[in-house]
Amino acid sequence: MKEIDIELFNKYKKLSRGSWGKDLGIWKMMYTALLNQQKNIELTPFSEMLLNIFSSIPDARKQGKLIIMHPFNFEPELFFAMGLTPLMQEIISVGLAPIHMNQPYIDFANKIGYGDNLTICNAQRPIISLLMQGGAPIPDLLFYLSTPCNSLSMSYQVFQNVSKIPSFNLDIPYSAYNHESDYYDEKTVNYVIDQSKNCIDWMENRTSFKFDVENFQQTMDWCNQARGYVLEFNELLKAVPCPVTSETGFGNFLTMVTRGGTLDAVKVTKSMRDTAAHNVRNAIGGVPDEKIRIAWPYTHVFFDQALLTWMEKTFDAVVIMDLLGHYKVLPHDISTIENCYMSLAEGILDASMVGKCRGPIEYYIDYMINYIKDYKIDCVIMPMHFACKHVSIMARVTSEAIREETGIPTLIFGCDSYDSREVTSEAIKGQISEFLTQVVI
Amino acid sequence: MSAMEKFKEGIPFENAWVKSWKNEGKKVLGYFCSYIPEEIIYAADILPIRMRARTCTDTPMGDAYMTPTTCSFTRCCLELANRNEYKFLDGIISCNCCDQVRRLYDNIRYKAPFPFHYIIGVPGNVNETTLDWFKHELSKFKQIIEKTFNVEITDEKLRDTIKKYNKSRSLLKELYMLRKRDDPPITGTDILNIISAGISIPRDQFNELLTQLLKDIDNGEGNSDYKARIMVVGSMLDEPEYLQIIEDLGGLIVTDSNCVGTRYFWDLVDEDSNPLDALAKRYLSRISCPRMTDGQPERSEFMMNMIKEFKVDGVIFQRMKFCALWWAEIFMLRNKLKEEEIPFLDLEREYVLSGAGAMKTRVQTFMEILEQR
Repeated sequence: MKEIDIELFNKYKKLSRGSWGKDLGIWKMMYTALLNQQKNIELTPFSEMLLNIFSSIPDARKQGKLIIMHPFNFEPELFFAMGLTPLMQEIISVGLAPIHMNQPYIDFANKIGYGDNLTICNAQRPIISLLMQGGAPIPDLLFYLSTPCNSLSMSYQVFQNVSKIPSFNLDIPYSAYNHESDYYDEKTVNYVIDQSKNCIDWMENRTSFKFDVENFQQTMDWCNQARGYVLEFNELLKAVPCPVTSETGFGNFLTMVTRGGTLDAVKVTKSMRDTAAHNVRNAIGGVPDEKIRIAWPYTHVFFDQALLTWMEKTFDAVVIMDLLGHYKVLPHDISTIENCYMSLAEGILDASMVGKCRGPIEYYIDYMINYIKDYKIDCVIMPMHFACKHVSIMARVTSEAIREETGIPTLIFGCDSYDSREVTSEAIKGQISEFLTQVVI
Repeated sequence: MSAMEKFKEGIPFENAWVKSWKNEGKKVLGYFCSYIPEEIIYAADILPIRMRARTCTDTPMGDAYMTPTTCSFTRCCLELANRNEYKFLDGIISCNCCDQVRRLYDNIRYKAPFPFHYIIGVPGNVNETTLDWFKHELSKFKQIIEKTFNVEITDEKLRDTIKKYNKSRSLLKELYMLRKRDDPPITGTDILNIISAGISIPRDQFNELLTQLLKDIDNGEGNSDYKARIMVVGSMLDEPEYLQIIEDLGGLIVTDSNCVGTRYFWDLVDEDSNPLDALAKRYLSRISCPRMTDGQPERSEFMMNMIKEFKVDGVIFQRMKFCALWWAEIFMLRNKLKEEEIPFLDLEREYVLSGAGAMKTRVQTFMEILEQR
């Protein structure tokens, strides 16, 4: 370990001492586990960012800053601009899934009658159990969108109902702002801008912080710098062989949805772009002998972090990007305050799952067709998380459209991405294996 | 024939009124959710009928495209659309009311298309910004109806239609008020038959029948032979057999918060404002369904007021399997009832009646609990 890293590591280690508060027990456990993973390896900008995500919550408490909880489909730049500390809630369920620690909370949700695995998404359901048991991080404010799914918007309503924490819901329109779309509506962006301004008023009324134009512009500037790096990274992934491993793209999404609008995000996205660029220059593939290029238009199977690595090793197959990792928000001109608002609104509308899933199926199909053509995809694998109705109900029609338009095959398999008890890793591997060997190769 | 018997004739999806309407060379549009203002369609002299699928017995196509873990209402609708059982419809109108209906609309367009499709973006909460947006959405909807069907929907026509729909709402409310009596003159099963007909037959005839019904039953003998007064709360339910099971076991349904029930008609449209503005306001601000993220306190209050006013002994929640909206909502409503020590039963069901035996056992046990109180 480099000396500077030891110094950094010790700084983070010091933070893990002492109590973070009863409600941050799980949060602290995740931080400590992450820190222990970094013990003998060099701290990367990404791992440093992850540590910052966790340490920012107790830090905020110490500094008297307000914490705002928000879901995975909203980038936090506006919150940073308003001096709030964002807490992206799904980091808990995603973080606990590989060690099967969601399961007791899922069981508790079943016991108290809050849904089941097939109906309410386990990206959010464990947080309700944690809340009822006193183990959920208690934010000062709640923020969520009306989209992409009922599960998410209901879990936030339940969180609000139980905790009585003030909440703001931003309604996401069905329509498009892109002129070429059949669903184009000229008022789409302004609708989101108006609601963003309402949200600023709401935050001002609940905090001592007043909206500051310069602060907002600075935040949007950092956000746009990071967006620029992500788009460059995405372009580099068109190279054959793909310059990064299957998991890598998700890192950009995680960065933008937790630290978008900070220098952390600029640093991480730049480092990812640099790595991809270096590998493209030197014809290095994320998978050494790449044979199959896969589009994965949904989230990862979070309970099995080794699944994509298994595919790489067994079939020389690389997943280019997952749905969330395929982040496509354009940087904007932010020279005026109105342009900043526009940049914010378009970012909200284009955020990974929001952009592709908030409206008609054409948004998703068009995205898939372009993805397949742009990235020289050989096949599509769609894990369909049972409770994710809005995507799983599109899968069959989308797969038919893909075959018709591009001629490539699609595998659709059901699972619960957060709970291995519904469909096990072995069962998933069996389906993927059969598909790749019998259909693709 | 009594008014009640006539209502029952209106229950089949393609009933005699619909056939007669079509025979006059007029159009019929199916719509999917109570957030869609029927007034705009009816003002164009087009009959709006709410999409239902009670005749669906199995869903191979629905399962394949919608997945087997989707609500059976949407699977049944896709199934019947694919079997061409909605062929008399000139088109369908949907909205983004829930994930499953939103995606049903997509699947129908791709797999079982109609001559005309349109989807309205209904906001998920209520404030000035979202209300303006909804006005804009309704204005676009009105224009597309005018353009597609070559009609003009004048403000005068809209006002006239709003009055007709308000009349239905007032008459239905009058009917509900009779259910406050100790011997309500009408059962919950009959009420569902009436409202199911209401969403399937022309408004003018519906109002005539409602007026006649009120005359028929006002002084008639009431139902006093019951074990408990029940409120039913939940999602889209248009199968009277479900309610018949409850009432056969001695529970008299005296009120509800159902989609084909109070939430459909309870709130009036302002007749003095600009008609589109008034429609937008009424539909967005009415007693909400859980899709409206800011409406939970009001929904809870509505339920509690109903319990008090209609002297309800127990609440039966009915929720369709795989419906996230209603499962989460009922979780919150149940907590409220626990606080108030009001007994409740949570019934999970499919769209078309199935598992009647198990349901009977659970309802019977609930009735015994209520009787012992």
